[in-house]
Amino acid sequence: MVFEPKIVGFLCNWCSYAGADLAGTSRMAYAPNVRPIRVMCSGRVDPTFVIKAFLEGADGVLVAGCHPPSDCHYQEGNLKAMRRVPLLKKMLKQLGIEEGRLRLEWVSASEGEKYARVVNEFTEQVRALGPLDWKIPQPKGGKN
Amino acid sequence: MKRIGVFVCHCGINIAGVIDSKRVVEEIKKYPGVAYATDYVYMCSDPGQNLIKEKIKEEKLDAAIVAACSPSLHEQTFRKTVALAGLNPYQMESANIREQVSWVHEDKDVATNKAIRIIRSLVEKIRLNEDLTPFGIPVTRRAMVIGGGISGIQAALDIANSGYEVILVEKEPSIGGHMIQLSETFPTLDCSQCIMTPKMVELNQHPKIELLAYSEVEDVSGYIGNFKVKVRKKARYVDLDKCTACSECEKVCPVEVASDFDCGLATRKATYRPFPQAVPNAFVIEKTEPAPCKIACPIHQDVPGYMAMVRVGKYQEAINLIRKTNPLPGICGRVCYHPCEGVCRRNYVDETLSIARIKRFAADFALRSGEGVTPPEIEEQREERVAIIGSGPAGLSVAHDLALLGYRSTIFEALPVAGGMLAAAIPDYRLPQDVLQADIDYIKKMGVEILTGITIGKDLTIADLQDQGYRAIFVATGAHQGLELNIPGKDLEGIYQGIDFLRRVNLKGKVKIGRRVAVVGGGNTAMDAARTALRLGAEEVKIVYRRSRQEMPASDEEIKESEEEGVEFHYLLAPTAFLGKEGKLSGLRLIKMKLGEMDATGRRRPVPMEGTEHELPFDTVILAIGQAPELTFKDARSEFELTRWNTLVVDDKTLATNLPGIFAGGDVVSGPASVIEAIAAGKKAAVSIHRYLCGELEEYRSELEKEEEERREKEEVPEPDWAEVYKERARQKRVKVPELPRDDRIKNFEEVSLGYGEKEAQEEASRCLACGTCVECMECVKACEVGAIDHQMQDEIEEFDVGAIVVATGYDLFPLPEIGEYGYGKYKDVIDGLQFERLLSASGPTLGQIRRPSDGKVPKEVVFIKCVRSRDQERGMPYCSKICCMYTAKHAMLYKHRVHDGQPYVFYMDIRAGGKGYEEFVQRATEEDEVLYLRGRVSKVFQHGDKIIVWGADTLTGEKIEIAADMVVLSTAMLPNKATAELVKKLKLPTDPYGFLNEAHPKLRPVEFISAGLYLAGCCQAPKDIPEAVAQASGAASKVVGLFSSEELFHDPAVTGVDEDLCCGCGICVEVCPYKARKLDTEKKVVEVNLALCEGCGVCGAACPTGAAQPKNFTDKQMLEMVSGILRD
Repeated sequence: MVFEPKIVGFLCNWCSYAGADLAGTSRMAYAPNVRPIRVMCSGRVDPTFVIKAFLEGADGVLVAGCHPPSDCHYQEGNLKAMRRVPLLKKMLKQLGIEEGRLRLEWVSASEGEKYARVVNEFTEQVRALGPLDWKIPQPKGGKN
Repeated sequence: MKRIGVFVCHCGINIAGVIDSKRVVEEIKKYPGVAYATDYVYMCSDPGQNLIKEKIKEEKLDAAIVAACSPSLHEQTFRKTVALAGLNPYQMESANIREQVSWVHEDKDVATNKAIRIIRSLVEKIRLNEDLTPFGIPVTRRAMVIGGGISGIQAALDIANSGYEVILVEKEPSIGGHMIQLSETFPTLDCSQCIMTPKMVELNQHPKIELLAYSEVEDVSGYIGNFKVKVRKKARYVDLDKCTACSECEKVCPVEVASDFDCGLATRKATYRPFPQAVPNAFVIEKTEPAPCKIACPIHQDVPGYMAMVRVGKYQEAINLIRKTNPLPGICGRVCYHPCEGVCRRNYVDETLSIARIKRFAADFALRSGEGVTPPEIEEQREERVAIIGSGPAGLSVAHDLALLGYRSTIFEALPVAGGMLAAAIPDYRLPQDVLQADIDYIKKMGVEILTGITIGKDLTIADLQDQGYRAIFVATGAHQGLELNIPGKDLEGIYQGIDFLRRVNLKGKVKIGRRVAVVGGGNTAMDAARTALRLGAEEVKIVYRRSRQEMPASDEEIKESEEEGVEFHYLLAPTAFLGKEGKLSGLRLIKMKLGEMDATGRRRPVPMEGTEHELPFDTVILAIGQAPELTFKDARSEFELTRWNTLVVDDKTLATNLPGIFAGGDVVSGPASVIEAIAAGKKAAVSIHRYLCGELEEYRSELEKEEEERREKEEVPEPDWAEVYKERARQKRVKVPELPRDDRIKNFEEVSLGYGEKEAQEEASRCLACGTCVECMECVKACEVGAIDHQMQDEIEEFDVGAIVVATGYDLFPLPEIGEYGYGKYKDVIDGLQFERLLSASGPTLGQIRRPSDGKVPKEVVFIKCVRSRDQERGMPYCSKICCMYTAKHAMLYKHRVHDGQPYVFYMDIRAGGKGYEEFVQRATEEDEVLYLRGRVSKVFQHGDKIIVWGADTLTGEKIEIAADMVVLSTAMLPNKATAELVKKLKLPTDPYGFLNEAHPKLRPVEFISAGLYLAGCCQAPKDIPEAVAQASGAASKVVGLFSSEELFHDPAVTGVDEDLCCGCGICVEVCPYKARKLDTEKKVVEVNLALCEGCGVCGAACPTGAAQPKNFTDKQMLEMVSGILRD
């Protein structure tokens, strides 16, 4: 059986969620693996949300926001995401999660086609990485 | 536990065709918290909404999830529905199972599962949703309109006529924008000015409108209903209330610059009114940055002003203007080292302006004509007397400026004549006695007493002066002591100090001198000594200088003139001993030098080269290696603080010495320096002494300190590439100053430089570029009968509270110099559409006659080229400028109306004439007015004789076309106005890739920005014609009026507050908030939030390390639960 990855997609309300809607109104079929969660801004995505997703069984996490530098509805929330996600990737790597399981994309409200493409690409990317079997690294034995 | 209902919509087959809604209902019913679930064919229909309402009541639901289309469509609809059933509207969530599920997935199972997961995640969210209520914020019912073109005027009038106050900000001196520049408007051909000026006047007279012309928005803060806008009201230098627009000031203004209003086809004055019907109808004086010459001058002499006066032949005005800042014009016109010329921007064109010699011309004119030699009446005489020690330039200047302030002063001079170094050290051939005397006499006429032959410290002491009632003393005794050269043989007969030698020659006439003279040193004293020695009959004069010519401190002019007169220069040579026979000098032993490391003065230190010593025979050696002050005035009671060079220590701001009431300046403080620096010191001291005598010295000092700090803090504006700026300027060489022939010079002490005659002075003055635009000649002040002109006016910043802002900043045309292939800039008769409008306009530079710019001939064949840099993806703008098709048809038609035998040609790509009466208009142009339309692009434009040859192709016939035209008019692309880019930053406005402003929605919200409270109209949004701009302006106005219709407006309550118990006061959220809604209360050590500013982005929530910042209904807990919910299989 083909492995169907579970992916959580955090989509910013103004650009990427609207872009996903546009893919829908344009009837562009794409992989069903991304499960969308609407946030007001990609800058709202707290790293703990991503970690929580991996903990709860996600194989990949997509964060999508408005194009930098100036598309952001909230002026610069996307720039916050732009700085947070790479740092988070480094941290996840140390925890044993491949960087390829987290992806930050800029999708504007007019880029339905791009949203569909990103979802397909990312699904394949995570599929190739295989299921994530993540155990939280426990402190080594002994007295503290 | 919250009772949650889920309502699944079929959306006909849009959803139900893919998603098994029955299964969704069954599955979701099992999910914890879901008390009820059902499906319906169209949930948004009335029966659907009623179903929701009924079930909420029947099932006692606390919250509802509507699984249907995207929340962007029906979130508001269903929020209202649940509200009607008695729930808080924020207890409804839309689950998007259409756009993001049924429309994008084909597999029914997969789609149904995804829909269930999405709904589950929203169940998790809604479980924790709070009831929220929009909160009211007050609205300031006053609007600001930025831009005074037709759009801005229309918007302002519409808002004001609805009864609300409007502030209109226009950056130009008059409102009117581009429309007032137009001749007639398509398609009705009504005169633009005739329909525009009544609107402008109505605006100006409207009781609800405040017009801020010549003003710019500086800063904007706040939010819808509550903006604070800082506006810079640029100094107009003309009082709007007093100006009667009589234009007398304009007539006398000597500065002409290109007129922006006439698109460079005519000139205007620096004092101007853009056009006669300007609103406000008042003049304005254009001042750009201060001229560099004025900045470089130690006394900030107003150079461009007297240049302009000399150019127009107003010599008396010139000398009066010079005298305003400079007490010694005749002297400065000759011996000043003119730092002004060093920075003159004329240098970027050809050569620097001969500023000092023009000053000399003005001063000589005064002397010859006897005009401008009477000092002004001093209104207020003061009691206090001031003693000045030394009558050199510093002493004379302080006396002059003190006299203007009403103080009587006495100058004590040790020498038998007044003038200090000017009299004692500068020979007549550089500064004739009568010129010096004239400047001194002028100061004497002001009531200054000069007592010569009195040495303070010998004949009188400083204490005596104080006892005699002098309330302040200024020490300006100069540096008259020559430095000695400590080498063997220094007491031999035949060795002079340069300064003593010059003094003796100047004051007594003859001094005995040998046949062979050596002058040691490289300053002006050395040059003067050498040239004087020649004039006294020396056969051979050698200058011995230990460094190279590059390091020599003497002025270039003096070095040049010395060389011309036959002085020999020996560089890199230093004496090691004076040689003598029987007590008399016979020569010098010299050693060759080479340049080593830099020393403290930044010059390379000379180092002796061993084994190069040699001897040369001389009869006389004159030492000019430097001077130091003679401190004769010092006595036991006055212990001055001294530097190690024996100069006086003073406070650098006030020039006060360590002794109270005693000030000092000039060479005695600075060591040997220049005349103009001494004058500057004198002028500075005069103000200090005045403030001291008023008991305000400390206060004055702190004022100066503050000024200096402000200067330091001022950001330096990067200089443009001046060579590029002046590239097009006509070259005109500096006018040579006539001089005595070389052979005539060395026989006597006649002045070498003969100075400019009237013609030469005017010609030279006309080379001035008038860098600051207004040259501050003050002629306008004299001409203005109502006293409306104030050159001291400063920019003012005023803050306004407004509730809404309409942006209507308009357009510019594509910069023509960048359109090289059509010959713009190279050929004068290639112009743009706006320039052609000016040619057509009855108030334009040709009074409405079509005359070409190069020679004023009526052009018989005119080629109009459309789509220049618009619809041009490669070199210009890909968009269509929209109005060019119509105005080109109009141009061609109006041209034909004026020049009946002329032939207009139009090269076009397409003719876009959509609009009421537009197509008919174009038809009329082709049929009735015989405009020849050629479909195709122009490949080349070049000059041939007085014709402009246009090569193009007619793509309809496939023929190559060549037209020998008299004039070419380019329909260039419209761009957003340059000012728009600045405003974009200040208002944080969204733009398209070309800088046009982006409306909130291209179809449904065309007159507002996405940011609430900001609206737009006119060409700042996109190219458009007048009717469209006016319609948009009225639309924006009605939006503003709608906003103002209630006193409060309601803010979305989904914002982020702060939990003070959790807040640790780290302030991270303060930094990340783009709306400045959060502020650290430094006393309570917690963050406080202005919820009215919060837009609910939640960025702070992600940044907060403690969880104190929780976006309402998007809390961390909710988000984490949503993640769990959506991943549960």
